[in-house]
Amino acid sequence: MNNEAKLTKYVKAAGCAAKLGPGDLTEALGGLSCTHENVLVGMDTSDDASVYYLDEERALVQTVDIITPVVDDPYVYGQIAAANSLSDVFAMGGEVATAMNIVGFDGCHHPRSVLKEILAGGQSKVQECGGIIIGGHTIEAPEMTYGMSVTGFVHPKKIYRNNTPRIGDVLILTKPLGMGILTTAIKADMLENSVIEKVASILATLNHKASQIMRKYDVSACTDVTGFGLFGHASEMSFNQVTIAFEMKNIPILDEARALADMGIIPAGAYNNKSYLSSKVHAKVPHKDEIILYDAQTSGGLLIAVSQDDAPKLLKHLLDEGLTYSSIIAEILPLGEKTLLYM
Amino acid sequence: MKLDCSGLACPEPVLQTKKALETLPNDSVLEVIVSSLASKENVIRFAQNGGFDVRAQDLEEGKSLITIVKGFTCKTVVDAKDESFLDKTLFLKSDKVGEGELGAKLIVGFLKSTLELPKLPRRIVCVNQAVLLTTADESAPITEVLKAFEAKGVEIYSCGVCLEFFGVTDKLKVGKIGNAFGTIEMLFGGEGTISL
Repeated sequence: MNNEAKLTKYVKAAGCAAKLGPGDLTEALGGLSCTHENVLVGMDTSDDASVYYLDEERALVQTVDIITPVVDDPYVYGQIAAANSLSDVFAMGGEVATAMNIVGFDGCHHPRSVLKEILAGGQSKVQECGGIIIGGHTIEAPEMTYGMSVTGFVHPKKIYRNNTPRIGDVLILTKPLGMGILTTAIKADMLENSVIEKVASILATLNHKASQIMRKYDVSACTDVTGFGLFGHASEMSFNQVTIAFEMKNIPILDEARALADMGIIPAGAYNNKSYLSSKVHAKVPHKDEIILYDAQTSGGLLIAVSQDDAPKLLKHLLDEGLTYSSIIAEILPLGEKTLLYM
Repeated sequence: MKLDCSGLACPEPVLQTKKALETLPNDSVLEVIVSSLASKENVIRFAQNGGFDVRAQDLEEGKSLITIVKGFTCKTVVDAKDESFLDKTLFLKSDKVGEGELGAKLIVGFLKSTLELPKLPRRIVCVNQAVLLTTADESAPITEVLKAFEAKGVEIYSCGVCLEFFGVTDKLKVGKIGNAFGTIEMLFGGEGTISL
């Protein structure tokens, strides 16, 4: 990888760790609402993308996401930012049609060639899932940001929402946790190149294939795990209607992230997520890796609620297709005292 | 040594703490000031995982002062506390006094009686099989006795290597994990050692 550009050194926080905390966001968005007969998924739920009804066959999926650099290589950063932006369409069960680049370019610290590489990286990922880039907008900014506004299509009757899991379903997660911790360590020059490459390849993996696979099975809800961490997104999934019980030993966590967490290399975002969610969580057996459940993920995996019957088949299919970190991590139970618990 | 990490974002406070602890000689105290919950938790986590003694104190304006002791500073501890303790270390090498069933009874009896003394030993250091005392079940009589010592302010240390050897590190019920350096400090630093 080309780490010469040192993209991560000029930003305050890396990737989704730079996201505004969930509490702050809820407060700011509280006054906004949208109701229209054509809006199938709007702002009233915490879904990742919005869906607008076109006709009986098609609904329009729209989403936007930008992140600060998580790696120093411009091309790879472009790939990761694109994978992160495209992911919301896949979580909904949609296919990407078009995308527009959104860039805040830090021209003080980086030459123009860096911009070119970032955009080339982004394009490679849009092409990979069959989409096209049709434009974009760039401004000069004190901190580098890149992402996309993405438009896709989904069948109006086959939209996957994030808050509709059934009791008895299990949850499958398709990527490992710990990315916020690892990207913080990259920013601090604490990781060897081989580990950086491993992390970057996980981050740049599209959720496209996972999305296409899940659509073949009896799936009741789906979301992608990003800035609010596994427990933040699981909390949204529970919708205060069910309790989600996690099996700690089944949750995929990169060993490198565990070691860094023991050292105290944990971004503030994880603590923000934890303090926001702590009242909802019950620990049957406390675990030292607990904080990783709150770690803000960039371009995280899909969290899929699937019937118990189909779960082993879906899991095998994901593993066979190279999504090797996929694992069954939780079960949906009737609502108990707390909405999230782990053992 | 004092380290002001206020205003610094993760992982900078941890990295500065790490660097400072590496350069400081044994028996020194490092004070780190941080200004966010994340930094406070991270620095404490780092120091605890490194086997250091850590204390944290909240200051004004969201700041915290974290005090990390590199090596055990027995003398200052003795000076700082009142004189209800003997400056002695009880050094336990086995979970029994002598052999067999009787030996197991004797150690509980001995420690129970010691609890009645007007002045208690300053600290109890457990090495080898003695770490099985600090890792016994909640219901075992020994656990209650050791917790009573701890409640009276006696410091209890279990040898980290020994805990690992017996595979009981995660079962520690009472006291802290000690290290070789700390143990030797305690044995030679105080006025006397009683070995059973």
